[in-house]
Amino acid sequence: MFHWLEKHPFFFAVGVFLVIAFAGLVEILPNFAQASQPVVGTKPYTLLEMAGREVYIKNSCNACHSQLIRPFKAETDRYGHYSLSGEYAYDRPFLWGSKRIGPDLHRVGDYRTTDWHENHMKDPAGVVPGSIMPAYAWMFTNLADINTAYADQLTNAEFFNVPYNKPVPMKDGTTLTVPMAKSVAEANAMALEEAKAITADMKDKDVQDMVAAGKIPEIVALIAYLNSLK
Amino acid sequence: MNKLYLAGVAIVAAMLGFTYVAMDIKGGLNGDIVNMLAIAGAVVLVIATVFVVTKYVRQMQSDTATGDLAEENWDSIGEYKNPLPMGWAIIFLGLIVWAAWYFLAGYPVNAYSQIGEYNEDSAKVNAKFEEKYKNLSTEELHSMGESVFLVNCAPCHGLAADGMDGKAANLTKRLEAKSVVYVINHGSMNNIAVHTDDNGSKTTSAMPDRNGLFNSATNALITDAEIEKVATYVANGMKGDGADVFASTCSSCHGADGKGMDMVAPNIADFTPAFVSDILSHGKKGAIGTMPAFTNLNATQVKAVSTYITDISKGE
Repeated sequence: MFHWLEKHPFFFAVGVFLVIAFAGLVEILPNFAQASQPVVGTKPYTLLEMAGREVYIKNSCNACHSQLIRPFKAETDRYGHYSLSGEYAYDRPFLWGSKRIGPDLHRVGDYRTTDWHENHMKDPAGVVPGSIMPAYAWMFTNLADINTAYADQLTNAEFFNVPYNKPVPMKDGTTLTVPMAKSVAEANAMALEEAKAITADMKDKDVQDMVAAGKIPEIVALIAYLNSLK
Repeated sequence: MNKLYLAGVAIVAAMLGFTYVAMDIKGGLNGDIVNMLAIAGAVVLVIATVFVVTKYVRQMQSDTATGDLAEENWDSIGEYKNPLPMGWAIIFLGLIVWAAWYFLAGYPVNAYSQIGEYNEDSAKVNAKFEEKYKNLSTEELHSMGESVFLVNCAPCHGLAADGMDGKAANLTKRLEAKSVVYVINHGSMNNIAVHTDDNGSKTTSAMPDRNGLFNSATNALITDAEIEKVATYVANGMKGDGADVFASTCSSCHGADGKGMDMVAPNIADFTPAFVSDILSHGKKGAIGTMPAFTNLNATQVKAVSTYITDISKGE
């Protein structure tokens, strides 16, 4: 066998490649697979959060805001615990970002509230003096795309095995089940319920009227998403 | 003179000449010590390389093999019984020692990790913080509180702590009228400590909503008009109209002066450091909206920001 390999350099090279590749698989993959498991407390996105995530992507929030807290004391003092790979288990695609023109948002749900986001998205400089972030007024009138968000949820559940309708462990030892609708109509009704809970804390009369009339503006979805970042 | 030596000298001259011309085009050494060192290094390298190569090529041309041949013979290819060169032997033995060290202690698992560095760094910074701010005077607490406030609290409460036109609570005074109305209508959550014993364990109590607030002067539940009156009174810093409603409805728990009673109700006339640190650790939901808990602050920072807010609410 080895004698034969010595006489056939091409197959010898293939053999060497296979051996090294196997060693790589054995050494790298198990660690990688383990680190990318969802950590306790990470839950799949609800429908409205998913729609908000799409608003976030659509407006390129990730061009200026990162979602990755590095393990440095100065950073964890400001943003909270450093990020773990497992926390991105349900992010498709991940939104780590590569630039911090604005602050990191990975745990913004821990220290900002619905009404703060509402004020801030309307007039960032009015809340944070000197802020260079532009206002996102159109989010208060444009409607969130719930159907696409539902399609995203379905894809995640069917192809990537994201545990919708299944209990996921939370940090306090309890479990939480994130429900997913069975039909588009049910999905829209579910999103509206979520939106009502968010608008209860909002001040904008127009937004409240829209939600009461069964329409969900982008800002409501975005706030749901931002509040879920913890 | 061998042709080989001539070639060596020619190559050295060519390389040095090229370097000299190239250096001249680039603007010379400019008296820069780093440039000079680099050029000196290059010259030494060129000469040493050519010298060594010439020496060995010459040796290959002229040397003949010597020594005793080993008994074994492989297809007429023999082997001299020369001893192992000393340098090789030392490196070989050294590598065995290194391998043992690497296997037992040096493998990267036991060496560097980002999180390890972070933990060490955090421990060091925390220890330094504790040491530096062990005994703070009131003024130092106030100024530390101000900087903590500007970073953590100002995004909602504003740089001047005035709540930015009602976007958050105005901390320059204890209570706003609308907050008093809200609390009377809804009652209050029960995680405000009304008593802290020597061990630091806290006693809390809840305030009932308007259906549990009895006006002893009128022998009836508190009315909307009375709520308006007493809210203005409390918001004015316990001054003006409404003292009678306060005395007959609120003072039984909050005290005649509104400064609260141990084990019963908190101080609603002034902020106190204990009250502020309670809000920081639990967050709150009130007339304006929700405030998240700020558990990322350490004990000294909580004390500092509590002192600061207590101070500014009194106009200090």
